[in-house]
Amino acid sequence: MNKSRKIIVTQRPDGFCIQFDAMASACEVIAEIDDKDLANKIAKTVSEEVWRIEDKYSRYNPLSLCSQINKGCGRPIEIDDETFALLNFADTCFQLSDGIFDLTSGVLRKVWRFDCTDNIPSQGSITKELKNIGWQKIVYDNTKIILPSLMEIDFGGIGKEYAVDRALLLINALTDQPVLVNLGGDLATNLARKNGEPWQVGVEHPGFVDKKTMVVSLFKGALATSGDAKRFLLKNGKRYSHILNAKTGWPIQNAPHSITVSAPQCIQAGLLATLAQMQGENAEQFLLEQEIKHWAIR
Amino acid sequence: MKSKSQNKNIKAALTLATTALFSNAQAGAAPLPSDASTEDAWSFDSAFLYYSEADRVSAAEAIISAKKTYTDDSVLNLKLTIDALTGASANGAVAQPNVQTFTRPSGKGDYDIKAGDTPLDDTFHDTRVQLNAQWTQALAQNYTGSVGAHISKEYDYLSLGINGNIAYDFNKKNSTISFGLSHFQDTFTPEGGIRKAFASMTSAYGDDGDQSGHDATRIGNDDDKTTSDIMVGFTQVINRRMVTQFNYSYSVVDGYLTDPFKVLSLVNTGGVAQDYLYENRPNKRTKQSVFAQAKYHFDETILDVSYRYMWDDWKIDSHTVDTRFYIPLGEGRYLEPHLRFYQQTAAAFYQPFLMQGEALPEFASADYRIGEMTAYTVGLKYGMKLDGGNDLSFRLEYYRQNSKSAGHKAPGVLTDMELYESVDAIIAQVSYSF
Repeated sequence: MNKSRKIIVTQRPDGFCIQFDAMASACEVIAEIDDKDLANKIAKTVSEEVWRIEDKYSRYNPLSLCSQINKGCGRPIEIDDETFALLNFADTCFQLSDGIFDLTSGVLRKVWRFDCTDNIPSQGSITKELKNIGWQKIVYDNTKIILPSLMEIDFGGIGKEYAVDRALLLINALTDQPVLVNLGGDLATNLARKNGEPWQVGVEHPGFVDKKTMVVSLFKGALATSGDAKRFLLKNGKRYSHILNAKTGWPIQNAPHSITVSAPQCIQAGLLATLAQMQGENAEQFLLEQEIKHWAIR
Repeated sequence: MKSKSQNKNIKAALTLATTALFSNAQAGAAPLPSDASTEDAWSFDSAFLYYSEADRVSAAEAIISAKKTYTDDSVLNLKLTIDALTGASANGAVAQPNVQTFTRPSGKGDYDIKAGDTPLDDTFHDTRVQLNAQWTQALAQNYTGSVGAHISKEYDYLSLGINGNIAYDFNKKNSTISFGLSHFQDTFTPEGGIRKAFASMTSAYGDDGDQSGHDATRIGNDDDKTTSDIMVGFTQVINRRMVTQFNYSYSVVDGYLTDPFKVLSLVNTGGVAQDYLYENRPNKRTKQSVFAQAKYHFDETILDVSYRYMWDDWKIDSHTVDTRFYIPLGEGRYLEPHLRFYQQTAAAFYQPFLMQGEALPEFASADYRIGEMTAYTVGLKYGMKLDGGNDLSFRLEYYRQNSKSAGHKAPGVLTDMELYESVDAIIAQVSYSF
């Protein structure tokens, strides 16, 4: 990728703040440490890891492994243990969601463009793309993956959350001081803050600029948000969320605008938020039943 | 829509999937900074040790140990040890108020010991080469197995050994039980052959002399012994700071256990040596021991204390207390003081000399190493991490052994002799890991 990658490390009264851009999001690491060398080390470690995952799994990067897999056209593409583990994880999510969460559903982007317009695609075009969706058509093992022609996989649904967890894992090997990693709203922390207070995290209210940012408190663990803040279609007063049902090709109806879920790890929180959204009007009920701490905005 | 119970499963299933993701993704992802260790590569430890007893034995030892860890966590360990021993060793006879003459082990030639001195045989020199190989691997979930082989060769000694060990982890790997077996087969071909029990040390013969007197005291050129050990161990992690270990071992040594180079002075009622008789020990020894160790990690320092109680059917009981205290000094440097205390009772057949006119016992040895004694070691180790990440350490220790009377009354001239001489030794070691 030909973009400049910059890291900004700033000292604050209670520690260091590390900022960089990755995965089309602002990434922020807040470390309650007073050692500048350690802060620089964390900055380097975290940014390299997040960029590594981006370079490997971004579907926008033609050199990524994801792009190679998508260009496979029925040929086996070699994969490593990390990719195999991610595919297994996605497979579990596919099973758990009864096929609604599907790593191959990204091709629906070709017909659904969530640009806040009223541009609703025709059923015909949707049906045509549905033929190229179906996790069960993918063959993979621990060394290779075979994708049928015209099918694509997209790690977008789990990549960012995975990067947050990986970053925190690497940080924990460097320090046992409190650190928070926030990758565009998906975040995780290892410990409560030094003053014993929870981390205060602002969750952007989707779509409505005049509403105040919702602040949630988090002692330890991870938060992830699934919502349609800037990604939806509006037609005849009906709001079409960007969360698509991979089985029907249509957006999930009556889902909350935003769901923030708390879980021990970010990838879990992210999946739970997405799975909740896919329950539509039963989203909150779904989370309540499982006693999962969450914040929903309708 | 899923039922409530199915939804409940989602959270649990997702937790499992997440755990699997982060344990399996490690291999392909960038390694954690802490485990940047070189997997699948050899690592080496080397050490040079010098041991010197005042006026007695000196030993120089070089050790090189190589370890290879394979990607499936199997470990191959190879260790080569080379020792060179020189100097003098007590031959078992008591000091006398006059010069004493002893025949060298070969039977050719002799040496004199000054009046009042503990008789030392200064022909003691040997080189030993020892090779150990050990293979360790996981056998099944929570089971680790290990097998090893040992060979050691000296000028007059060959030792072959095999061992096997199995360990089972449970209680979230906080507890480990292990069971081990080992077997050694040794062959001893001592200089001058195997001595007849309680035969008199004959006078030396020259190159053209008559050897028949010497030969009459010998019953062969070599003899052997076997050693079988069973060990049961238990390791328990108490908490983040403390780990404990308990071992029990049972050992049977069978075969030639006599030291062919050791004699006993046969003294008259005046305490004057009349003859020197070769010692004789039982041909079997059954040893048992219990061992307990605790390591406690304070905020920075680590205290390591262990205790061993050993007892055998020769009636030797011993207690060993060993303490090390690890003090980090920063930047990879550390100091480690070491204190060891050892105490043993004498073997039932130990006696410093034999009395003329008394019936010969079935077994007797005047070897100070199986007599009553206390010993202590005081040492200090200093270690540092070099720029390349390699470890270098220096160890200096002082060892003192005080032999004591096990209640044998010294007659006549022996009252003025030092029958239980102390041994002082210095141990210096340099170790380097790369």
